[in-house]
Amino acid sequence: MNIVTITTFLPLLGAIVLLIYSLIRSGRPYGGSDGHQEHLNNSYRWIALIFTTLTFIASIYIAAGFDNSVAGPQMTQKVSWIAALNANYYVGVDGISLWLVVLTTFLMPISVLASWHIEKRVREYMIFMLVLETGMIGVFVAFDMLLFYLFFEITLIPMYFLIGVWGGERRIYAALKFVIYTVVGSLLMLIAIIAVYLYAGSTFDIVEITSKVAADPNLIPSPLKTWLWLAFALAFCIKVPLFPFHTWLPDAHVEAPTAGSIILAGILLKIGTYGLMRFNLPFFPDVSRNLGSWVMGLALVGIIYGALVAMVQPDIKKLVAYSSVSHLGFVVMGIFSFTDLGMQGALFQMLNHGISTGALFLCVGMIYDRRHTRLISEFGGIATPMPQYSTMFMIICLSSLGLPLLNGFIGEFLILIGTFSSTVPYAKMFAVLGATGVILSAVYLLWMLQRVMFGEVTRRENSELPDMDLREKAALLPLVALAIVMGIAPMLFLRASEKSVNTVRQSVEQKVPRVVEIINR
Amino acid sequence: MQLETLNTLNLNYWSIAPEIIASIAGAVIMLVDAFSKRGARRINGAIALAGLILAFISVVFIGRVGQGNYFSGMIVVDSTRIFFGITILIAGMIVILLADQFLRDEGLPPGEFFSLVMFATAGMLLLAGAGDLVTVFLGLEISSITTYVLAGYRRYDLRANESSLKYFLLGSFSTAFLLYGMALTYGATKATNIEKIRLAIEGGQVTYPALLLIGAAMMLVGFGFKIASAPFHLWTPDVYEGAPTIVTGFMSTAPKAAVFAAFLRVFVVGFDVPKEGLGLQLHGTWISAVAILAVITMTVGNLIAISQRNIKRMLAYSSIAHAGYALVGFVTGDYAPVAFYLLAYSLMSIGAFAVIQLLARAGDQRTEIADYAGIGFEVPSLSFPLALFLLSLAGIPPTAGFMSKFYIFKSAWDSSPVLRYLVLVAIINSIISVYYYIYPIVVMFFRPLAPGFVRPRVSASAALALILALAGTLYLGILPNRVMNAMGRGTVGPTEQTQMITK
Repeated sequence: MNIVTITTFLPLLGAIVLLIYSLIRSGRPYGGSDGHQEHLNNSYRWIALIFTTLTFIASIYIAAGFDNSVAGPQMTQKVSWIAALNANYYVGVDGISLWLVVLTTFLMPISVLASWHIEKRVREYMIFMLVLETGMIGVFVAFDMLLFYLFFEITLIPMYFLIGVWGGERRIYAALKFVIYTVVGSLLMLIAIIAVYLYAGSTFDIVEITSKVAADPNLIPSPLKTWLWLAFALAFCIKVPLFPFHTWLPDAHVEAPTAGSIILAGILLKIGTYGLMRFNLPFFPDVSRNLGSWVMGLALVGIIYGALVAMVQPDIKKLVAYSSVSHLGFVVMGIFSFTDLGMQGALFQMLNHGISTGALFLCVGMIYDRRHTRLISEFGGIATPMPQYSTMFMIICLSSLGLPLLNGFIGEFLILIGTFSSTVPYAKMFAVLGATGVILSAVYLLWMLQRVMFGEVTRRENSELPDMDLREKAALLPLVALAIVMGIAPMLFLRASEKSVNTVRQSVEQKVPRVVEIINR
Repeated sequence: MQLETLNTLNLNYWSIAPEIIASIAGAVIMLVDAFSKRGARRINGAIALAGLILAFISVVFIGRVGQGNYFSGMIVVDSTRIFFGITILIAGMIVILLADQFLRDEGLPPGEFFSLVMFATAGMLLLAGAGDLVTVFLGLEISSITTYVLAGYRRYDLRANESSLKYFLLGSFSTAFLLYGMALTYGATKATNIEKIRLAIEGGQVTYPALLLIGAAMMLVGFGFKIASAPFHLWTPDVYEGAPTIVTGFMSTAPKAAVFAAFLRVFVVGFDVPKEGLGLQLHGTWISAVAILAVITMTVGNLIAISQRNIKRMLAYSSIAHAGYALVGFVTGDYAPVAFYLLAYSLMSIGAFAVIQLLARAGDQRTEIADYAGIGFEVPSLSFPLALFLLSLAGIPPTAGFMSKFYIFKSAWDSSPVLRYLVLVAIINSIISVYYYIYPIVVMFFRPLAPGFVRPRVSASAALALILALAGTLYLGILPNRVMNAMGRGTVGPTEQTQMITK
């Protein structure tokens, strides 16, 4: 059987196993004594952990067997799915999706560990997590537009429940907002998918459409092309989220349980930037070029606006949420620089952000579990009672603000160089202004660190806080280790994506130069 | 040659086997009920189910008698008939499976209910296979009159009485429109057979063109009433709310499918002659009229549904909206998207009504959305299916609702540039609809448990009905290939012989 298919559906299998197990063991839902229930809950957690870990191992097999010299999809499986529509079950990985798949499978066991203490409806919680994982992997491995759309929407419902049932006080509002925003984007994208499908000669095959567009840039007629580009871009920019579509993000993040935030920031946001790279650039190269500086401009606004708003947040989790807006702005800027460096950097930054922000949310979750507050003013000097925790938290903050030798530096550096050398109008200005975002991120993160960690212990209840336990270490240490490894040996990761990114970049470049276009008119 | 088959009798009883089986089963139930002890619910239910299964088999294999016209063109055998028949029968089966518990809980006489459902099904099957305006009328009346009675089946309940009476009055009114339209069409074309009407228009033998146009318009209004399209929808919410929930589930699905089949045949076969002169005029007029109808129907249905606090009323407006989506497919002139849509819609809608029926208990006591607060994790075996049906109605994958919408949108986008705007309107409507479909899920899962909740009892047959609807919804959503292929092979339109004549 195909390894990509196995990786995709292993979590779903886990969900089914968990459900069957619960039906066998509990007789009827939520029957039995408290001790029995506690025992069952533990089994559910372990089942989820085992299956997410197995999925991670399977994805390591994908990474191990990956051939860096191939640009197109590898390890593919293509089976006819709906013959009447010429839709196929077509999955595989290429340089763009490979690390995103691994990132997903890597963050999921950590998320399960981070939700170990959840006592409410453990069975449903774990089932939603596992279904969500299948959806997210599916998004990254699908090479058929309809299949992509299917997985894209499947991620929506479990996340909606995770926020809505296990979230904070304003969870209903946050969950609804999340769904409505996403659906607005995705349904408009559906029109665009239908249109592209019909213009490309009734095919959903992303590789085929890409090559058809490359062969004939006017495959899709001109005014419509821009509208379709906008439809795709809207769906993905809401997901990213690009300023001004970001307003759902702070609400969703703040209300979501810790694992929900990790998944949301670590993986779901990447679906947006991944989609831009997979659909907008290769399908509509000339529109992407024409609108490139607009997108870059919005990305720049996002970088600075996100950083400034993060600076004044009294709530640590909200601070991290707004820092995502800022960091994802860098990613979008890198993508729309249309340079190898910038796009590679964007891809690398997606991984960085997944790891750093995932770890930041994990850290925030840890002190929230202890104190049931996330207000910066409630803390102070907790480095004294929690030295290990504080060290880890600091490394992660440094990685997030882009300190050299840690992962964040590589990504932001590549993006800024790429943007600076880009031929997109005003790119140099955007790069220079974007660089201030790096400074601002140092300001808000270090200031937060200082207020939370250092100095005297300001409140008596903080002086006795226990340091990390084994479970928390198991969740946090791999992230910190990876942040360091990626900072020291980035080529390990960059090499795999080189070819694919180059292909995408070329597809954008292949457009007729502007001067010629004007002469032809 | 075609005119020959239209004029000769061409008797073949196999071509009306489903209708015969359903009618006989209905009659047998009446007899069994009269001669057995009171409350022979199980036997009646079993006979009804067996009848529907037999009818189902005969519909599936009805293609064996050969596509074409039978009984002087009164009956048509084609894909439209097969697939709409399948939809009707599946809806019927689910209702029969649910009826057992409903009748027991309510303490209602079982015999009449089952036989009424059987006769209604027979009428709808006839409607789906009608090749002549007379058979259209016949099928419509058989199915309508039985449904009027079913709506008021809980006869001690004032709401049900109101529902039944309203349905009867407005239904008769719309039938009158339809009949008048048929009469005028007959006056203009000297034919009641749908293919002969087409031939008359093609051959330029229409004596009074104005009569034909008015006739077509009248029929459009009549059909518009029956499928609950806006602005002819005003009866729907009250009737759906007042009728017993399983009857509502039945009314919102099977008759709609049947009327859509007849609607398709009359307009796409009879009135669709996009050539010069009158044919072109008629074609353009009805296409744009239906397109406008679709826009109004979708928008009105979705916008009013948002403010509903009763789940039955909400689903009533949602069913209006869904008629609008189906009309978008209708405009493409292809039967397959419409047939697929109605099959998917029937499964998810009747599934949702089934859960509501089970949760509402006797007398429809708990049908306010607020009554659903917190039940999500109390009765997961009902709340999760309901959530899935609602998500399917909202068109979120991997459900039938998504696939069917996708199929409609794709066909519409493909068929003409003007229709792309229609797709856009439909998409915007889908976005609006997500809000109100999500709302009950919010209430069920995210709110604390409402007081007065009693865990509902679910009988084995009701569970089977639910599983059937659930499996169908997921099957059509994930693996629609077989059904789509089968539908894609057939086409609605004049039979080959008629096309030869016109050439």
